[in-house]
Amino acid sequence: MFKFSLVEFSIRRPKLVIWATVALVVLFLTQFPRIKIDTNPKHMLPENSDVRVWNDEVDKTFALYEDTIVVGVKNNAGVLNRETLGRIARITDEILALPGVASRDVNGFTTITNVTAEAGTLKVGPLMPAAPKTDAEVIALRQALFGNPLLVDRVISKDGKTTAIYVPLEKGANGAEIAEKIRAIVAKEKGPERYYVAGDPVARDTFGAEMFKLMGIFSPIAGMIMFIAIQLMFRNLSLSFTMMGVAMAAIILSMGTLIGVGLPVHIMSSMAPVFLMAIATDSIHIFNEFYFRYREKRNKLEAIRETMAAVSRPVRYTALATTAGFAVLLFMNIVPVQVFGGLIAFGTVVLRLFSFSLIPAILTFVKEEKIAKAAESESAELDRTARFLRRIAEVGATRPLATALVGLGLVAVAIAGTAKIHVNNNLVAWFKESSEIRIADTAMNQALGGTSLGYLVVLANEPEFMKRPEAMRWLEGLQRHLEAMPVVGKTFSVADYVKRINRVLHDDDPKFDAVPETQDTVGQYLFLFSMSAKPSDLDNVVDSTFQKANVWVQLKTWDAEAMRQVIEAAAGYQKAHPLAVTVKPAGIAYFNLVWNDEVLGDLVLGLGLALVVVFVILALDFRSAKWALVAYVPLLFTILLIYGVVGFVGKDFDMPLSVMSTLSLGMAVDFSIHFISRFRQHLVESGGATSEAAVREALLWTAARPGKGILRNALLFAAAFSVMLFAPLTPYMAVGAFIVSMMLLSALFTILYLPALVMLGRKHLFN
Amino acid sequence: MKRWWIWMIAGLLPLQALALSGEEVMKKSQAAFLYPGKDFKARVVMKLINKDGQERLREMTMLRKNVGEAGGEQKYFMYFFQPADVKDMTFMIYKYPAKDDDRWMFIPAINMVKRIAAQDKRSSFVGSDFTYEDVSGRDIEDDNHVVEREEKVGSRDCYVVKSTPKGADADFGHKVTWVDKANFLPLKEEQYDRKGARYKQFTADEVADVKGIPTAVKRTMKNLQTGHRTEVAYVKTDYDLGIEDSLFSERFLRQPPRKWVD
Repeated sequence: MFKFSLVEFSIRRPKLVIWATVALVVLFLTQFPRIKIDTNPKHMLPENSDVRVWNDEVDKTFALYEDTIVVGVKNNAGVLNRETLGRIARITDEILALPGVASRDVNGFTTITNVTAEAGTLKVGPLMPAAPKTDAEVIALRQALFGNPLLVDRVISKDGKTTAIYVPLEKGANGAEIAEKIRAIVAKEKGPERYYVAGDPVARDTFGAEMFKLMGIFSPIAGMIMFIAIQLMFRNLSLSFTMMGVAMAAIILSMGTLIGVGLPVHIMSSMAPVFLMAIATDSIHIFNEFYFRYREKRNKLEAIRETMAAVSRPVRYTALATTAGFAVLLFMNIVPVQVFGGLIAFGTVVLRLFSFSLIPAILTFVKEEKIAKAAESESAELDRTARFLRRIAEVGATRPLATALVGLGLVAVAIAGTAKIHVNNNLVAWFKESSEIRIADTAMNQALGGTSLGYLVVLANEPEFMKRPEAMRWLEGLQRHLEAMPVVGKTFSVADYVKRINRVLHDDDPKFDAVPETQDTVGQYLFLFSMSAKPSDLDNVVDSTFQKANVWVQLKTWDAEAMRQVIEAAAGYQKAHPLAVTVKPAGIAYFNLVWNDEVLGDLVLGLGLALVVVFVILALDFRSAKWALVAYVPLLFTILLIYGVVGFVGKDFDMPLSVMSTLSLGMAVDFSIHFISRFRQHLVESGGATSEAAVREALLWTAARPGKGILRNALLFAAAFSVMLFAPLTPYMAVGAFIVSMMLLSALFTILYLPALVMLGRKHLFN
Repeated sequence: MKRWWIWMIAGLLPLQALALSGEEVMKKSQAAFLYPGKDFKARVVMKLINKDGQERLREMTMLRKNVGEAGGEQKYFMYFFQPADVKDMTFMIYKYPAKDDDRWMFIPAINMVKRIAAQDKRSSFVGSDFTYEDVSGRDIEDDNHVVEREEKVGSRDCYVVKSTPKGADADFGHKVTWVDKANFLPLKEEQYDRKGARYKQFTADEVADVKGIPTAVKRTMKNLQTGHRTEVAYVKTDYDLGIEDSLFSERFLRQPPRKWVD
C-alpha cells in the first residue's frame, strides 16, 4: 500500500524528506507578500448572484454610491452655534478637497440642497453656503433646518445636538485611507464637539485590520499555547517541535496556495491557520501510540513501523472525515465559505501526507534515551490520566442504561433550546460594544434616522407614471406606513420634494404640504426643482423616465430581520392600497437579508451533506452501518447540546456559527473513529472474544490508552482555540467558544457514551 | 549706451502691442460667443444623456437682447416645449455684470410667476451639464487670464488661455479655453476642479455662419467624472430681429407672443 511504502521511504531517507519539505515551505512562503484582503460583505455572494446584479442595477439607475462614509458631529450644547458651524464648514471644505471623495455629492450643512421661500423668492440651493457670521444667521439656519422635514433626522437630530456629513466615495477609492484623512481633519479642530467617523467602508476596513491582527498575532499565540501544552504532555522538545513544524508547514503550504492562485483572504479563511493548527493535533495519536509502543519494544524503528501500522487506519479515516466535512462547504453559495472549505480540506490532506512522511522521518532523529525517559510515565496502568479515563468509561460500561437515559433527558432539553434559535446576521454587532465603530453606530442611530440603508424600488409599467398624483400619494402613504415601524428611522422619496416645493411656492403655508392635484403640476414642480438642485438630488429618488421611484428607508439596526419586516410591511401596504406597481427591495440592508437567508439555507444543506458524508465514511471505515450509527451518537449529542445552549443563551445564530456547526461534524467524529477503530482492533488482537466481560475490558483499555490520545487531542484543540476567546471581533470569539466546548464535550461523550452504547447494543453489534 | 537701450525698447514695443493678452482674448471671445448681434433668437434642442446613453429632452425657444455693450447687461427669455408636462413654462433672466441675476419662472399648472433666487451662477442650467455661467458668461474680472500657448483645434489656430479665479470661493480650480484666433469663438474648454482634476469639457461641435456671424450651433458639455453629457443644437438661429424690451416682463411671461416663441 502506498502509505506504508511512504512511511518506509521516510524512515529510510529521513533527511531527504525533511529537506524536501523545507524547500517546499520556502517556495510557498514566497507567495505570502502577494496577499490580498477582502472584507467587503458584498463579496460573500458571487458577482453574478441575483441580489448583487440587482443592487448594481439600482445603484446605476438612481446614481447611488456603493460606499458612503458618515461623519457625525455632536455637541452636547447643540451644534447650531457660530463656533461649531464654523468648524463644520471648515471640515466639509477640507473633505471636499480629498482625492477619492465624490465632492459633487457630499451632503452636509454647506452642500445639501434646501428648498425655501424668502420674501416671495423661491430658493433652491445649498443650505448653508458659508458659516454664519451673526447670531441672526444662526437663528435663520435653525428655522430652515427644522422647517424642512427633508433635513431633520438626516443632517440634524431632533434635539439639535448632532449633525452628519455624508461623504460618498468614487468607485475604487480607498475607504480606509479617506477615513484616516477625515480623522486627521477633525482632530485639528479644538472644541467641545465629538466626532464619529462611521459607515460601511469604515466598518469593513476596521474589520480587515482586525483580521490581520488575528492572523498575525493570534495564530502564533495559538501555536505557542499548543507548543507548551505538547511540551507538558510529552516533555520532549524535539517532539513538540515536530508537531509544531508539521502544523506550520501545512499552514504555509495551504495559505501559500490560496494566495498563489490569487484568491483574496476573507474573514473565514483568515481563521484557517488556527484551524489547521488544531487539526494538526490529530497526529498526537501517532506520538501517543509511539510512546506506548516504544516502552513495550525499546526499538525505535520497529516502534515507528508498528505505530504507523496501528494508527494508520484511524488517522486516514479521521483525515478523510475532516476533509469531507470541510469539502462539503464547496457546495455552498457563500463564496468565502467555499474558499475556506477548500482551503482546510487541502490543508488536511497536506497534514495527513506529513503524518505518514515527515513525522516518521523526524521520529528517526529523536534520541532514544530521551524517548525512553519520556516514555517512562506512559503506561495505561500507572498513568493517573489513564486511570481517570478508565473510570469514566467504567460508568458508561457498567451502567449503560442509566447513562443513556440521562443522555436522552439532556437531548430533550437541548431540543427545546434549539427551537429558540434565532437566525440573524448583524455586521456591526461583529464588533465589540466598546469598539469605536459600535460607539459611532450607536450614537448615530440614536441621534439620526439610522445608519443601515435599504431601498424600496417602486416599478411602474409606463414612463411618466411616477408624476401622477396617485403614484405620489401612494409613495407618501407607503412612507408613513413604514415610519410607523420601530426599526425604521427615516424614509424619503420624490414625493417629499414635490410636497416641499408645493408648500414653499405657496408661501410656506402648511395647507400645501401635500401632493398637488394634477400630473402637470407635479411635472412642473420637479422641473423647477431640477433647474437648481444638484443632479443627484432627483436622480437618487426617481429614474430619468419617471417610471421607477426609489424610496430610501433608513433602519435603526443592522439586524437582517429589520429589512424583512420592511418588505412585509410594503407588501401589506400594497395589498391594502392596490396600484399598478411592483415593489422590489434593494440596498445593503436588503443584501444583508438575502445573505442571512443564504446562510440559513447553506446551514441546512451543509449539515445534511456533512451528516451523510460522515456517515458513509464511518460505515466504510467500520464496514458496518451499525457501528457507524454508534460512532455517530457522541457527535450528534455534542452538536445538539451546543445548539441548545445557543438557543437558551439567545445568541444570534450567524454566519460564522452556522459554518462552524457544519464543519464541526468532520472534526468531532475523529474521536469516535479513533475509539471504535482501536477498540475493535484490540478486541481482535486479544483473541476475539465478545463476552460481556471481554468487551467491557476492551472498552476500558480503549478509554485508558487511545482515550488518552483523544483527551490530549481535545485539550490541544481546545487550547489552540481558546485564544480566539480573546479576539477583538465577536465572530472569532463565538467560534472559539464553540470549538472549545465542542471538543471537550465530544471527547467526554466519546469516552462515556461509546462504552455505554456498545454495552447496550453488544448483542446486535457483534452478531 | 543709453541710446542703444532706448532703441531696443522702442523696437520691441510694436511686437508686444501685436500680441493679445489673455484678458483681451477672453473679452473678445465673450463678445463673439455671448454678445453677437443686438438680439438673438434660437430654437434650442437640448439632450441630457447619462453615461448609459439614456436621453432626456429639453426643447425651448431662447431669446436674448443686449442692453449695452459686450460684457454688459443682457435679458434672456425662454419658452419651453419639451418635456411635455412643462409646455408653456417660461423663464426669464436679467443678467447683470458683477451682480446676482434676477430670475423669474412662470408655472402654468398653478398660474404663478415666481421669482427664483440666483445665489449660485455655477448651478445647473435647467438640469443640464451647462451652468448659468456657461450659458450667459462669467465676469472677465473674476479670473486671471494667461495665454499659455497657441495650438490647433482641428484645422483652426487657437489661443490656449488659462483662467484662474482670483477669489478662493470659486468651486473650480481653473479652466483652459481654446479660442479661435480668427473669429474668437471658444472651440474647446476644459474645467478643472479644486483637486486639479479635469472634470468638465466643453466643445463647439459645429460652427455655422448666421447673417455673417459665426455661431456655434452645436455644442456639448460633458461631465468627465459622472459620464453625463448635454448636447445642444440650435435649430433656427437668427440675429437682429428687433425684439422689444417690453417682451421681458411678467405679463409676457404668462402669455408670450406667438411670433417670438414659435
